[in-house]
Amino acid sequence: MMTLKIAFRNIFRQKRRTILTALAMIVGFTLSSIFIGWSDGAYSDIIAMFTQNRIGHIQVHRGDYLDKPSIYKTMDDYESIGETIGSVKGVEAWTPRVYSAGLGSVGEKSTAVQIIGIDVEREVQATRFDKKIIDGRKIAAQPAHEAVLGKGLARNLSAMVGDEIVIVSQGADGSIANDLYKIVGIAESGDDIADRMACYLHIADAQELLVLEGRSHEVVVIVSNINRVLKITEAIETSLNDSTLDVAPWQVVAKDFYRAMQADQQGDAIGRIIIMLIVAIGVLNTVLMSVLERTSEYGVLKAVGTKPGQIFWLVICEVLIIAVGSIVVGAVLGTAANHLLSIYGITMPQEFTYGGIKFQTMYAEVNARSLIIPAITVILSAGLVSIFPALKAARILPARAMRAH
Amino acid sequence: MANTDVIVTEKITKVYAGNGVPVEALRGVDLTIQQGEFTALVGPSGSGKTTLLNIISGLDAPTDGKVWLSGKLLSGMSGNELSDFRRDNIGFIFQAYNLIPVLTVEENVEYIMLLQRVSKAERHRRVAAMLEEVGLAGFADRNPPQLSGGQQQRVAIARAMVSEPAIILADEPTANLDSRTGADLLDMMSHLNVQTNMIFVFSTHDPMVMERATRLITLKDGQVESDETKG
Ligand SMILES: Nc1ncnc2c1ncn2[C@@H]1O[C@H](COP(=O)(O)OP(=O)(O)OP(=O)(O)O)[C@@H](O)[C@H]1O
Ligand SMILES: [Mg+2]
Repeated sequence: MMTLKIAFRNIFRQKRRTILTALAMIVGFTLSSIFIGWSDGAYSDIIAMFTQNRIGHIQVHRGDYLDKPSIYKTMDDYESIGETIGSVKGVEAWTPRVYSAGLGSVGEKSTAVQIIGIDVEREVQATRFDKKIIDGRKIAAQPAHEAVLGKGLARNLSAMVGDEIVIVSQGADGSIANDLYKIVGIAESGDDIADRMACYLHIADAQELLVLEGRSHEVVVIVSNINRVLKITEAIETSLNDSTLDVAPWQVVAKDFYRAMQADQQGDAIGRIIIMLIVAIGVLNTVLMSVLERTSEYGVLKAVGTKPGQIFWLVICEVLIIAVGSIVVGAVLGTAANHLLSIYGITMPQEFTYGGIKFQTMYAEVNARSLIIPAITVILSAGLVSIFPALKAARILPARAMRAH
Repeated sequence: MANTDVIVTEKITKVYAGNGVPVEALRGVDLTIQQGEFTALVGPSGSGKTTLLNIISGLDAPTDGKVWLSGKLLSGMSGNELSDFRRDNIGFIFQAYNLIPVLTVEENVEYIMLLQRVSKAERHRRVAAMLEEVGLAGFADRNPPQLSGGQQQRVAIARAMVSEPAIILADEPTANLDSRTGADLLDMMSHLNVQTNMIFVFSTHDPMVMERATRLITLKDGQVESDETKG
């Protein structure tokens, strides 16, 4: 009680010192808050683009298709599966896909292709397929033996819009499958490696080619709030109620990407180091000075019976009170900065790529982490840095302290 | 030792390391101070007065020898025990810088009783009475920097005495005061000494202190040169 009273009053008595100490903490907190908010914002963007435009937020397959894809692991009733999924709360869109490998030839040139059978209308709704077309147009809504090639594949085959592509593959019944399709467009998904093999067909055309009438390998689900993806995955599992179906959120579908992202959250580390350095430098010096100046005061306190432990806490308390105040101010500044950066963003002089996705403008995010992590770090580093001066104060010998005058 | 022997020292020596050359500040001091004595420690500068007071109060440890306060051997106590013992048995008045500047007069005087967990009502009663006693009744809410040197010393006296310790130790309490103020404070302390039977031990160069003391101990080169009790 008395300790707190003395600590509070000292904070107001030594205004200059308090302001200096607080400034160090506020600057440290705010910078680190911006770093974390900004890096989280960038990661959220990357994840949003990676999922929404490509793998979706959730995927449904038959059995272990995800680990061991096979043309035979299909969902025969995907329309009704899709309807069920579509009725789950939080689901925004769903779209079925058929996959197989084959050989594609345009004129003299041939190469391996990945056949991707898509429901064009649903694919537009779910993954904005139309936005990926960089030349020509998308496949017609009704099956018309039309194909869209990935950018890299078109280049490898020297194919142009208007050319024809012959695809050879194997049907699910073991027959040789081959057919001729008209190239109506070129697509760029943002994933160069995938684009080197991607050959999109109307899902009905693909089913016919592969002898998979009415069946699909995958249903891709888009949810309205990506933060609720795990809850929605569970809800879908429950409403499908079929143990032979595998419902996987994007974190499972893109395991490696997810792990890389997590390992890569540099914002936290940089943010923490910034605070610790600024706080350490700013606080250590001022607290040490204040302890030295008040030697005789601590000497009197000790002489009249204050225990060393109480003096230790007196010093720590003063620093922590300033820290709490600084965190409040820093939280306001950091949130304001992140809010502005989430609206206006920061445009890089040069485009950069992450996970095959191109970025130029990065937006920050206002979130709890960008306040909690800096707050804990400020408290911890201020506390740690004050241990040494606090011990010094606690160990003052009153006999010597009083003699100093 | 008798019950009334509140301070007993036995063959106290103190050697300071100094700057390479050891300084023998005390060389075998044997003293017994009894309840109610108003004692002045005198002697030339450097004779060891402050050192002796610090050792008697447990603020500093002797190089050799023993100190008993109210029958308790100081060297047998841990740091925290010593803190508590000082809090409960010794009142300090230093030459200067006695008070905590951020606490009011009332809070400064109250401080030790807070450490002792005395109830709030009791604290207020005693602080008020004590401030009355030292003539600072209207000053409870002032801060030390707003007081004169003499007034600050009065607050220090009030703080030292308010919890009724057995012993009051004062290292040159009048050195920073004009003679008028010093005399007033001494008369006040002498009066309180008679009233309460607390032991007062002063180190001093001040003839006014010597006049009022009931016992005069003279130190020289770290030894007791003379020890006279006045009738
Ligand atoms: N911390 C210390 N380190 C080294 N020597 C010391 C220390 N404290 C005191 N001394 C020495 O011990 C001797 C006694 O000092 P002390 O302060 O006890 O004298 P004093 O009688 O109180 O003097 P004064 O009247 O000037 O206050 C002196 O020679 C002093 O220089
Ligand atoms: Mg002295």
